Amino acid sequence: MTDIALQTRGLGVKYGNFHALSEVDLQIRRNSVHSIIGPNGAGKTTLFHALTGRVRPSSGRIELDGRDITDTSDDDRVRLGIARSFQVTSLFPNLTLRENLRLAAQGRTPWQALAPWRRAEANAEALDIADGVIDRLALGKVTGRLAGELSHGQQRRLEVGMAMAARPRVILLDEPTSGMGIDDIEVMKDLIRDLGHDHTVLFIEHNMSIVMNISDVVTVMRLGRKLVEGPPAQVRDDPEVQRAYLGNMITGDIA
Amino acid sequence: MNPLDKPFAQLALVLVTVLALPLFLKSGILATEILIFAMVVAACNLLLGYTGLLSFGQGIFFGIGTYVAGIFLTRWSVPVPLVLAGAAILGAATATLVGWLSIRRQGVYFVMLTLAFSQLFYFMAYTFSGVTGGDNGLLGVPRPAIGGNALDGPWSYYTYVAVCFVVIFALLVMVTQSTFGRTLLAIRENEGRAAAIGFPTKLFKIEAFAISGAVTALGGALHAMLIGVAPLSNIEYHTSELILIMTIIGGSSSLFGSVLGAGFYLLLADALSTIWPRWLLLLGLVLVAVALFLQGGLWGLVVRGYDLIFRRDRAPNTSAEEH
Amino acid sequence: MIYLFQVLNGIGLGMLYFLLAVGLSVVFGLLQFVNFAHGAFYLLGAYLTYDLTTRGFSFWLAMPMATLIVACIAAVIEALLLHRIYKLPHTFHILVTVGLALVIQEMVIIAWGPLGGSVPAPDGLQGVVIWGDFIYPQYRLFTIGLTAVLAGLLWWLLEGTRLGAIVRGGSESPSNMALLGYNTLRINTAVFGFGAGLAGLAGALAAPIRGVEPFMGIEALSVAFVVVVIGGMGSYTGALVAGLLVGVVQSVMTTLWPEGARLMIYIGMALVIALMPRGLLGRA
Repeated sequence: MTDIALQTRGLGVKYGNFHALSEVDLQIRRNSVHSIIGPNGAGKTTLFHALTGRVRPSSGRIELDGRDITDTSDDDRVRLGIARSFQVTSLFPNLTLRENLRLAAQGRTPWQALAPWRRAEANAEALDIADGVIDRLALGKVTGRLAGELSHGQQRRLEVGMAMAARPRVILLDEPTSGMGIDDIEVMKDLIRDLGHDHTVLFIEHNMSIVMNISDVVTVMRLGRKLVEGPPAQVRDDPEVQRAYLGNMITGDIA
Repeated sequence: MNPLDKPFAQLALVLVTVLALPLFLKSGILATEILIFAMVVAACNLLLGYTGLLSFGQGIFFGIGTYVAGIFLTRWSVPVPLVLAGAAILGAATATLVGWLSIRRQGVYFVMLTLAFSQLFYFMAYTFSGVTGGDNGLLGVPRPAIGGNALDGPWSYYTYVAVCFVVIFALLVMVTQSTFGRTLLAIRENEGRAAAIGFPTKLFKIEAFAISGAVTALGGALHAMLIGVAPLSNIEYHTSELILIMTIIGGSSSLFGSVLGAGFYLLLADALSTIWPRWLLLLGLVLVAVALFLQGGLWGLVVRGYDLIFRRDRAPNTSAEEH
Repeated sequence: MIYLFQVLNGIGLGMLYFLLAVGLSVVFGLLQFVNFAHGAFYLLGAYLTYDLTTRGFSFWLAMPMATLIVACIAAVIEALLLHRIYKLPHTFHILVTVGLALVIQEMVIIAWGPLGGSVPAPDGLQGVVIWGDFIYPQYRLFTIGLTAVLAGLLWWLLEGTRLGAIVRGGSESPSNMALLGYNTLRINTAVFGFGAGLAGLAGALAAPIRGVEPFMGIEALSVAFVVVVIGGMGSYTGALVAGLLVGVVQSVMTTLWPEGARLMIYIGMALVIALMPRGLLGRA
């Protein structure tokens, strides 16, 4: 097995005539925390869409553990071990927190769920996974609460939990701290660092304090292309990055 | 969750209904019709309330069940259980086809497509009058027989339908409680996320259609045996409209709401249509009133009443908990 | 020659379908609201024309009056009732407009009876046009001409004017319109009346061709849906192309397979959806 969990070669995405992503080569090391930064419109979310199969690339290829998944559908990729969270919280608001996670866990074996006589509780494994994620997210007090009634910070954590419950090898987090207060951000930071121990984490983030603190590798994107890549210190000190635009996108202090 | 929404409460309410109808209604025909439509409306509710699909095409499957009964019972005297099974299978197959085509478009386009498909099947039945009897329908559909005796009395056939109804309703409750039914709820809530966590959502929707179509066609077959005819009107637009109206009036958040919707509509129709042939005008106003003042339907009203009487202490709690 | 006759018939029919579909489309564009009472407004337009002409009014007066009355009734309904339900889910839009359609249909039956009737072709257009051995009714030719002019006007109105921009802008974000200083409430009412008026006009024009009966509304509604589904809602060109296509298919099939002519409209729609899920012009 290679050391590279997820890799893209010459990845490009076109929306009509607009090149949202071009010539992106990425190598994400196994069990590392890899962050993607860049100004709005840099193609970060498009990159996620391409990696999870929500949009079809117009060129290039995507490999998961050396296997070509460029033409694999989005739900098949979940089964192969890629899961994501969304920038805009996207839960099942009228279902309980635990049910949200149970569904996310069941999503790995969706064909089982097509049987209209099988009780949901019969899948003990999915329930165990859901409870495990609840522990890890420290949301044990609100498992029976409807997702739509949780606080914003709790919803953001559940959003990440939805990806965790699919038990992916590669987990993609799209701005996990967006809209969070300072206390919640610290919790999220610890959570992401913790995820890096047993997952390959790829995350988009605007909060530089988190990026610089917990990333093993930072990729800077601009206008759909990869600009600079390297360990946080190197990226932070890169004169081009600093001069070009890092200065006006820092939203937190560099720790 | 309200205790009345629990599966056993729903089943108990259904049993009470089945036993109570003969006590309160003089007409066995009307009582039987209520149970048949209750079944069909519950199947529509599986789509509307559980999957979020507003189908204007339920009359297609009802009509198909009607014709299966009409054709196989009048021409070849096939045993009734086989006819019912055949109706369910053909209903499921048609619903799979209609569902597969309709869910290719979303939102209001989906609704329009289901309505257009109901017209397609109506004109098909109208055009191929050699098979369906056209405007006249198929006459002389016999009742089923138990031990050699045809169930010609209104209440003996009621019993037959009641057994079918309770079994079907229990099966539908099981479907909604299953992991399949709970995935449908997730699709209704947020289809994009359901797909993102790995569910092939189209397949789930089509299966919901198939189950709904099977139950609806079964109801259509029972209806043909009730009235002794397989009429063209059972596959008309109006039947689709009727089923949908009953579903919404009853309330789409619970299967028993559908029983209430069917009962309310048919009792109202029975009472008003003899007094005033143009009573549909009043129905139109009722629909407007439901949309404005009773969005949870009759079931919403029942739940509110229940909370008011039995859970007075709980009611303020839910709002306080939010902080 | 019979085909030329049927194709012309189809074009006339198709243009009426186009009017219906544009009316539906305009309302949906501005209000995100599918009007299931659209067919009932068509029905009302036809019956008002029938009523006025039997009272001795000229068709030339009856047609615009019917259109105007339908538009006014619809505007009043919008102002009194519909604006209260825009925020509710589609289910309730459908419930309310289905209810309205029932009310209108039953009132039509109360006022004019369940049997229907016929409307004679208007004065001056009762004859036929003869070109060599081709004979065609004047009134049908007139509807083609009139609807073509109307189609031009609608194109100008929707694509070239501020009203059109408002309707299109409104469909994107109603609050933006309020910011720009438009009185959205009054525009909503006007546009709803306008959309219903188009259905009323289609009914008025159809009355001398097909007569009137109380259940003509449902059929008009479902044909309008077919046109909108295959042409795309909010697409002027789509409605025109799909409307004409449906009209011509129905009309030509009347010669080839009279009993199945209307069935073929829906079979055609099913084929389009099976082969081109996004409709003829490939819009969402």
